[in-house]
Amino acid sequence: MPFFVTGACLDVLDKSCIEECPVDCIYEGGRKMYINPRECIDCGACEAVCPVTAIASDLPLSEPDRPWRDDNVAFFESVLPGRDQPLGSPGGASNLGRIDADAPLAAASPSAG
Amino acid sequence: MSGDEVDLVVVGAGPVGLYAAYYAGFRGLRTAVVDSLPEPGGQIAALYPEKLIHDVAGLPGVRGRELVRSLLEQARTYSPQWLLGDAADEITRLDDGRIHLRLRSGASLVTRSIVLAAGIGTFKPRPLPVGAEFLGRGVDYFVTDPSSFAGHDVLVVGGGDSAVDWALTLQPIARSVTLIHRRDRFTAHEASVAELHGSDALVRTPFVVHALSGDESVRRAILRDTASGELHEIDCSRVVAALGFTADLGPLTRWGLQIVDRHIVVDSTMATGVPGVYAAGDVTEYPGKVRLISVGFGEAALAVNNAYVAGDPSASLFPGHSTATV
Repeated sequence: MPFFVTGACLDVLDKSCIEECPVDCIYEGGRKMYINPRECIDCGACEAVCPVTAIASDLPLSEPDRPWRDDNVAFFESVLPGRDQPLGSPGGASNLGRIDADAPLAAASPSAG
Repeated sequence: MSGDEVDLVVVGAGPVGLYAAYYAGFRGLRTAVVDSLPEPGGQIAALYPEKLIHDVAGLPGVRGRELVRSLLEQARTYSPQWLLGDAADEITRLDDGRIHLRLRSGASLVTRSIVLAAGIGTFKPRPLPVGAEFLGRGVDYFVTDPSSFAGHDVLVVGGGDSAVDWALTLQPIARSVTLIHRRDRFTAHEASVAELHGSDALVRTPFVVHALSGDESVRRAILRDTASGELHEIDCSRVVAALGFTADLGPLTRWGLQIVDRHIVVDSTMATGVPGVYAAGDVTEYPGKVRLISVGFGEAALAVNNAYVAGDPSASLFPGHSTATV
């Protein structure tokens, strides 16, 4: 999964990325977007359109981005508040719609406003 | 059940499918290649034709579209049957063990084996949010015959390589070309965008299609400037909607294959659980899988050679060296 969404997306949720993703793997959380690491095909289409440059690659991973990469993974691999199992690989974000929860780092981040 | 008889059908004309078609020809198999897109090249052609690819053995850096051109030339060595713009839909086992493959168009093939070089699945063009009722009546998702645009006022919608390339191709042919994109920034290759701005094509951003009107065919388009909200009406008799693609495994999910996270599980011979059906490239899954183009090429050779001996158990799995025959 080279691509993930950093904290630059927090409370922005522009969602241009969703219109570009050919495999519908960008999921909407409460405060930011998350790229599913098992569904992403690394095409990079989303990266080019993000108005706040929130999409980063882990090839190479920049150290300041590491917590956001891990948080992006945690959104799918850990159990989110209000759920009893991890999201895992649902096979398409549009089937789920907005998920009213965030991974720990995003949830604990101060509001930009 | 009838249909053209072949030895092997390659599903997918992306890089791995094209290489599989070459390899099948090299082994003397009568081969057909099926792809849902009207142009070969799969993911490379549809998503990143201008990207430099650095991990193809022996090529220190090759642009996507150049690689596709070379693979196509290589695949054509043995003149496979091309079924582009159609898609593999359904398989039925015949009494003699061969497979009857029905295509989306209703056409069919009878084959001994199939190699699924299906990548991320069947590409479907993203539909225009409005004016879909004019599809096939002036609205197209692909430019397959540029000369058919002669004398038309053409509206191209999109900001990627396909949109910009088609606008540039059609500009000298059509009466007029207008390209609109919903954002100011293009994702197409910079040089192409610069060429477009220097051409006679009219470029409008950030614009979207507000409505299409016409009779038996599209005649007018109302465009909306999303920054000001202003509406602009233009004459247009052809619309090319190049808004990108979505992909999924579609009909393959009904073939009885073992599918995990949109990937098809294969063994070390690239065989799926369905007799005669093999897979290669990004679509495969097995322990240790690495989803790279270079791995896909190797899997294509594995799949084709193993399919070959499965069809003729007396044959050698090893194909011989290509240097010995050409």
